[in-house]
Amino acid sequence: MHEWSLALSLVQTLDRWALENGVQIKRVVLSVPSPAQLDVSILTEAFDTLKRESRLEQAKLEVRVRSPRYRCRACGYEFGQEEVDQQIRQLMGQYGEEYPLHLIPELLPTFVKCPRCGSHDIEAELSIKVDEVETI
Amino acid sequence: MRPLLESAREKLRRRKVVAVMSGKGGVGKSVVAALAALAKPGSALVDLDLEGASAPRLFGLSGRLHEISKEGIEPLEVGGVKVFSLGGIVGDRYVVLPGYGQAGAVEALLAFAKLGDSDPVVVDMPPGMGEELLALSRITDFLPVLVTTPSKASYGVVKHLAEYLAEIGKKPAAVVLNMAYVDCGGSRIYPFGRGEDARRLAESFGAPLYELPIDPSLEDYVGRIHEYRGPIAYVVRQMVEGL
Ligand SMILES: Nc1ncnc2c1ncn2[C@@H]1O[C@H](COP(=O)(O)OP(=O)(O)OP(=O)(O)O)[C@@H](O)[C@H]1O
Ligand SMILES: [Mg+2]
Ligand SMILES: [Zn+2]
Repeated sequence: MHEWSLALSLVQTLDRWALENGVQIKRVVLSVPSPAQLDVSILTEAFDTLKRESRLEQAKLEVRVRSPRYRCRACGYEFGQEEVDQQIRQLMGQYGEEYPLHLIPELLPTFVKCPRCGSHDIEAELSIKVDEVETI
Repeated sequence: MRPLLESAREKLRRRKVVAVMSGKGGVGKSVVAALAALAKPGSALVDLDLEGASAPRLFGLSGRLHEISKEGIEPLEVGGVKVFSLGGIVGDRYVVLPGYGQAGAVEALLAFAKLGDSDPVVVDMPPGMGEELLALSRITDFLPVLVTTPSKASYGVVKHLAEYLAEIGKKPAAVVLNMAYVDCGGSRIYPFGRGEDARRLAESFGAPLYELPIDPSLEDYVGRIHEYRGPIAYVVRQMVEGL
């Protein structure tokens, strides 16, 4: 369901943008951080349903799932997604459908600890963003 | 482009957003925000106290999770108010977030909140002047309602907040002097002084000042604030009508 909310936000935002700029949209690249655990096929399906009768009618959605780099602000340790995966899996097991990072990946520091010192003071680029828009 | 930031902006563009804030902690922001939302049918209450999440506690919603539908975050509805809180996303656990995490949470909560035709949107702000305030300012042109107590400690912080807001071109829509007096058999006793500082502050910004009494019975309504009909609710309603 989170995928639909996100697709709705994306379509509405880009449709408005396209209208303001007098263009149609041909291609959209959406970048999402992997700990959001979004289902790319549901996201694409939602996008393709919601884009009808908008300036995105012809648009193709490409979802880039990126693995963030993390840095602990307490001890300085830098680490990759593979050192976080175990904690993410546990969290998903705990919340199931209600997994909070689906909706707000920036909440990650609340749930994830630095693998070296255990601090929650973790820095990473976790936002959901539009990387590219191709118009006609 | 940040689609959630854009959605949040668009969602609030045509609504009145009343932000109950103080700078100072524990002065009654959450109580005032809850009663302000209850005062006007069709209001939404968005709890942006990400770490404190008072709104669920006041309304007896602690531990309840928001349903997420295809259209976003479904509100928890109590007493005619649509309540949205991060507490309803993470459940009953602590939240600890660096600034970028707070910003992301504020944007996402507002972008996904299924506000329907709710208007006004009352925002319960956390104490301090941190990321939530900056994030809300990026999203919407809110009406600040400043809450203080008669204490010098509180007033000093609220004054700084008012000065900051003035600098970014906002003036308080109202100043609330909470815990101003006790009603003793019809006569008012002002245990902490008359709140002259707060009054002058309100006057200097041309904002109305509302005095709220100390009401010991309020504590009994924590968990069912929507049933509270006492004097605080009465004055907050007047304040809302004046906005
Ligand atoms: N006028 C009042 N009479 C009696 N009790 C009050 C009054 N105003 C607030 N309180 C009580 O004081 C406490 C703090 O109130 P509240 O949580 O609304 O403050 P706050 O400013 O939102 O705090 P925080 O900064 O932690 O968010 C609560 O227990 C509340 O019930
Ligand atoms: Mg509060
Ligand atoms: Zn560390």
